[in-house]
Amino acid sequence: MAWSADRVTLGVEGMICGSCVQSIEGRIGALPGVFHIKVSLEQRNATVTYDHTRHSPESLAEAIEDMGFECSLTNATSAP
Amino acid sequence: MATHQFFVDMTCEGCSGAVTRVLKKLDVKFDIDLPNKKVFIESDKDTDVLLETLKKTGKAVTYIGPK
Repeated sequence: MAWSADRVTLGVEGMICGSCVQSIEGRIGALPGVFHIKVSLEQRNATVTYDHTRHSPESLAEAIEDMGFECSLTNATSAP
Repeated sequence: MATHQFFVDMTCEGCSGAVTRVLKKLDVKFDIDLPNKKVFIESDKDTDVLLETLKKTGKAVTYIGPK
């Protein structure tokens, strides 16, 4: 089976405490096709490693938006 | 219209802000009591729908009952 992991950093606004971070890491990290997620409270962003056949930066941003946080692709950086 | 009471495990303004945003999308009247970790929603929608919406925030949510 061919798959390749992409990594993207998304800007996330609205997080204040560690609990917000944990909620996002727990929920997005549990999505099928998401291998790893690291949320930074200080830098207000989330770095996600995902299977690009199942997710896109847009779909991940939407998933975070759906949780009630503002997520932007403006400073999104993809690494192959 | 019925008012439903929910327990939502919120710890800060960020958490209640997240709850506010998901509920705004649902277009219901609501009130958040952050110190007591409670959310009051005034809606005729099914409680399961409200529960699922609150669970979107990734927090522990339980339905307490009608007010």
